[in-house]
Amino acid sequence: MKIILTIIIGYLFGWILIGTEAFSWYRIQEMFHFQSFHMYGVLSSAIATGVLSLFLIKKFKIKSLDGNSIVLKPKPIQLKSNIIGGLIFGLGWGLSGACSAPVFILAGKEWQVGGVLLLGSLIGVMIYGIFESKLSR
Amino acid sequence: MNSPFLPWYVAGPLIGLMVPTLLILREKQFGLSSSYRALLSRIFKKIPYFNYDYKLDNFQVQLIIGIFLSGLTAHFILPNESPENLSDYGKIASTIYTVKNALFFLLSGILVGFGARYANGCTAGHCIMGVSQMSRASIISTICFFIGGLISSYLLIPIFF
Repeated sequence: MKIILTIIIGYLFGWILIGTEAFSWYRIQEMFHFQSFHMYGVLSSAIATGVLSLFLIKKFKIKSLDGNSIVLKPKPIQLKSNIIGGLIFGLGWGLSGACSAPVFILAGKEWQVGGVLLLGSLIGVMIYGIFESKLSR
Repeated sequence: MNSPFLPWYVAGPLIGLMVPTLLILREKQFGLSSSYRALLSRIFKKIPYFNYDYKLDNFQVQLIIGIFLSGLTAHFILPNESPENLSDYGKIASTIYTVKNALFFLLSGILVGFGARYANGCTAGHCIMGVSQMSRASIISTICFFIGGLISSYLLIPIFF
């Protein structure tokens, strides 16, 4: 049941990104050229909603559906990988106009190039996996 | 560009709601780029990085299945986008999404995948979930995402197109 619900949430999430064109190469270029507030509005209001939700979860000690308390684990600081990995991801984002979710949207919507983009990102993760132990964090 | 049919003040909060929804439903922090690892771990068990309990990230695989299906639906019901003003982004004819740009998308995809795993998160996990927690790692990563994107958009795109 949860599995089906999660797939449906992914489906709706995809449609939100499609509806607001956050998957679009043109929107991402527009954002990096500071030509429109649109993407900044999307990202900042998403973060604001995230902050507010986490605050409310903490304040009212909201539990998960299974009745457990919700514990947050912030990602560890790994300066080198956050910076170098972040820059490499950013280069890819600026070129392809797509981060993880848009990669999968494009794999469906513009499957001819989207499929190639998805293949590329899988190859990238594959390369990371092979060299993981040699990369410093 | 024309305005999209979902304005930012509707789409942004809905995207932000992914954070509490996944915490309450799955007890998981929002993120998407581990889905790549979970997918590959089913095939490449001999590589230590992929030899892990991928069930931990199965919720991300379920999310991306839904996301992929939304794109597939859009393929059949939405017209191809043809933005009006492309002059600022180089000489790109009618659309960037043509087969002749396949190699460009393959190479930039490699950067996206490699970078997301090396940075330990992507726009979802770092920029939205991590920054919402005020995590320093995520704030640093998000700043680097933007610097990388600016370099691509201003310096690299004009070389390719």
